[in-house]
Amino acid sequence: MRWNQEDISLYAESKEYIDTMIIPLIPFDVQKDELMKKQAFQKELLKLFASEVEKEYKGRILLAPEYHYISGRHKEEVDRVNHWIGQFTNLPFDHIFLFTLDMNWRKLSNDLQGEIVWLPGLQSGNLQSSEVQSFIKEQVSQIAEMIRSYW
Amino acid sequence: MSDKKQVSRRQFLNYSLTGVGGFMAAGMLAPMVRFAIDPVLQPSAAGKFKAVVEESELTSEPQRFTWKINQKDGWYESEVEKSAWVYKKENGEIVALSPICTHLGCTVDWASNEEYPNQFYCPCHGGRYKKNGVNIPNTPPTAPLPLYEHKVEEGMLYLGQAKSRGSGV
Ligand code: FES
Repeated sequence: MRWNQEDISLYAESKEYIDTMIIPLIPFDVQKDELMKKQAFQKELLKLFASEVEKEYKGRILLAPEYHYISGRHKEEVDRVNHWIGQFTNLPFDHIFLFTLDMNWRKLSNDLQGEIVWLPGLQSGNLQSSEVQSFIKEQVSQIAEMIRSYW
Repeated sequence: MSDKKQVSRRQFLNYSLTGVGGFMAAGMLAPMVRFAIDPVLQPSAAGKFKAVVEESELTSEPQRFTWKINQKDGWYESEVEKSAWVYKKENGEIVALSPICTHLGCTVDWASNEEYPNQFYCPCHGGRYKKNGVNIPNTPPTAPLPLYEHKVEEGMLYLGQAKSRGSGV
């Protein structure tokens, strides 16, 4: 399910079936153009991953609003991320997956109350090209399998 | 007696050849006429179906095929990927099923659960369907998997719209 009117209404009626949430973690930094470009690309990539996984398991996964943050201050973000997660686990959700391409979470993964899913990063590329698309498909089926193992 | 027979056979051939020629001419003309008088109907009717796979690749075991369509969805027009489980029945009839679970919309897999080797299985809440797409009672789905409209032309399978089959079992 996505965060739109139609799906959220369906979610509200079928809560008992939807127990898994994906939160995409999306950093941005406006200090350097190069970094900004890379992050913008990776944001598209991350959204694509999340939406493909959601499509596969629409009936059991809810795709949360994206969590945006300014990169470089991950320690300070931990509380806010956990606050989000707390809201969702209260609904309840049994499985919270944080999708990210940002390696800076590595050291903090124990402090986060959700399961971090590291997605393989591409630095740049064309999301429409068939190589990138088949790469994404391959990855999506692995992520889907990983999620299934939690159920 | 035998002479007469010869003649009549030749006559018969003549007639029938003219007949075939006539048909061929008519066959060539008909689409031209249709184009001339009704250019609007042609593309819309043809655009609904998409080439998916060569018929010769189909087996009695369901296989998953994907294709792309342009979809206009409110504000956006985008290319979306469609997919279907397709197999051939013993009598040669083609069955093309939508893989979208009728419960809450997950994607079902063929024979992915060892306990149910001849069924479609939904990993989300254990929904199950028979090979023909009919939902199995006492699993969450309450309707069969939708069937795609299909046609075969020059050995190529074309799929159209997926049609829901009501509330089933
Ligand atoms: S979505 Fe398939 S069983 Fe619930």
